[in-house]
Amino acid sequence: MSAGLRDDWKEHQRAAWLACWPIARTALLLVFRRKLFWLLLGIALLTFMFMFGAIYLLAELKAQQPGIGRMLSRMLPDLDGSGRTFLNFMLAQGTVTMILLAFAGSVLAGNDHRRGGLTFYLSRRINVLYYSVGKLLAIGLLVSLTTTLPALILYLEQGLLVDTTEYFRENYNILFGILGYGVLLSLTIGLLLFALVSWMPRPVPLVMTWGCLFVFLPILGRILSFVFRDREESIREALEGSHWLLLNLWRDLYILGARCFGEESLRRSDEDLLTGAAVVVATVCVLSFVAMVVRIRQLQHHS
Amino acid sequence: MTPLFEIESLTHRYGSVLALDDLSLSAESGAIGLVGQNGAGKSTLIKILLGLVRHTAGTVRVYGSDVTRNGVGLRGRIGYMPEREGVVPGLNGIEYVALSGELNGMPRKQSLRRAHELLSQLGLEEARYRRLENYSAGMQQRIKLAATLVHDPDLLLLDEPTSGLDPDGRAAMLALLQSLAKRSDKSLVFSTHLLGDIERVCRQAIILENGTVVASGALDSLLAGQPHAFLLQWKSDNDAISGEFLAALQRSGAEVASGDELGQARAVVPEQWATQQFFQLARECGVTLTDLEPEEMDLRTVYRRLVGMETAAPLPVIGLAKRDESGVAP
Repeated sequence: MSAGLRDDWKEHQRAAWLACWPIARTALLLVFRRKLFWLLLGIALLTFMFMFGAIYLLAELKAQQPGIGRMLSRMLPDLDGSGRTFLNFMLAQGTVTMILLAFAGSVLAGNDHRRGGLTFYLSRRINVLYYSVGKLLAIGLLVSLTTTLPALILYLEQGLLVDTTEYFRENYNILFGILGYGVLLSLTIGLLLFALVSWMPRPVPLVMTWGCLFVFLPILGRILSFVFRDREESIREALEGSHWLLLNLWRDLYILGARCFGEESLRRSDEDLLTGAAVVVATVCVLSFVAMVVRIRQLQHHS
Repeated sequence: MTPLFEIESLTHRYGSVLALDDLSLSAESGAIGLVGQNGAGKSTLIKILLGLVRHTAGTVRVYGSDVTRNGVGLRGRIGYMPEREGVVPGLNGIEYVALSGELNGMPRKQSLRRAHELLSQLGLEEARYRRLENYSAGMQQRIKLAATLVHDPDLLLLDEPTSGLDPDGRAAMLALLQSLAKRSDKSLVFSTHLLGDIERVCRQAIILENGTVVASGALDSLLAGQPHAFLLQWKSDNDAISGEFLAALQRSGAEVASGDELGQARAVVPEQWATQQFFQLARECGVTLTDLEPEEMDLRTVYRRLVGMETAAPLPVIGLAKRDESGVAP
């Protein structure tokens, strides 16, 4: 075993925290090797392409047939280039993202817990924090790939198709909204997924739990809103403003995301739920972080 | 000179199970064998030396640095090869070894180059682009060794590196470890329950039993510190003279067991015994010694005596043939 190489690189030895990137890159590489993920990414891409085409056609129609353009704009308010356009697009991408993450979870981190990869990582010149940051970075990048990045491209497209300087000057808050909502999604979903994967690394229990969180709980929230509504409250009011709806984590993220785009993007029914949504999301993040650290330490010390 | 590692009053518990019990020892650089049965605490000790497992009590220093405080920095100088786990499924050989280098602070280019070099040296050139889950047990051990060596560490912690290998694979692995052990800039802690492997590779040994150190030190001194046994054969005219000879040996401090045939015995003598004493006693009793063969002392015998599986007391001569197996299990 040659020792000559040692001096070459020892002088340029990288800081330990930089190991977060190889960890994230490897996790993404493992995900991209699965055909299923390309299928799901393809579906996410289809939604994006549809939006991309629709924004382009609407802009062209507005320029060439202003009457039809205005009519279509009224019919399709979600494509008017305001904050809600991008907010709703990111929400729509969320479904695919959730399915993608449910299946990607075990590949991203589950196998490390199940097949001893954790020992491999933690026996190198890194600690639990760098390992966790690396894995969260991978999840965050995956979430961004299906939500934030396409939303940014659409924002750019929208700006380039109209009066560019004016659009970007008047709507700079949209950029912050996209980035803010993206970071919120990446961080919350990343922590939650990583915590769940730490405790249930096998794909089937993970998918079932993920499904419970994002399918069963929202349904339960709606049922409870209906059951416990005030007598004088209409069903519609109950299904829009009840605090039971906070059980829907995706909706909580949507409400906070809407706030990132500015007050005008927040629906009136959601205004009352803003604080509750922030509390739920913060609680989920803290609990996930604690669960994740406890589990990794447990596995590390009993490996 | 700074010792390789120093351990003071180390205790480690897994819940209610005591894995290491008030263990104190230190070791100099070189090849060190860590011997003990399953559950003796070998793997735990290795993981504590690596800073991977935080010990319950005590102090552990490697190269003079506290493993609890400076675990990350120390791990950059250490290469760890776990026994079973430690493979990242889905990666191919090159990616796995290069990743190990990157995690140890190597720039990507150098770690890739080094990974290619190592896989060639370890005979995995053909399999370098194959997924790790498709590797045989022997190949997995070799790829793990490559990942351990990629950043050229000063200290190698190898947990049962020959486990699960076929005879050829084991011989190749031991030859590789022998070559590493010969290098003056490398130290090696090699855990196994195969004592023959330790004798082949290491110069020092630490014997663990139920979480405590039974003995530690240079192999030569461990072997020399034991009472020695001899096989004796003599000629005599009658049983009474033979009996007199055996009694004389016992009076001189030797423990004696007669053989199945007349004129044969196995004697375990004290450390300070001089071989000439046999001849002197034989002469005094009127017997003629025809054969005096010292029984070969090996680590297995030392181990079994130290952990109480076997006493130095003599066995009947018929049971003296050395067994081939070199494991520590009874």
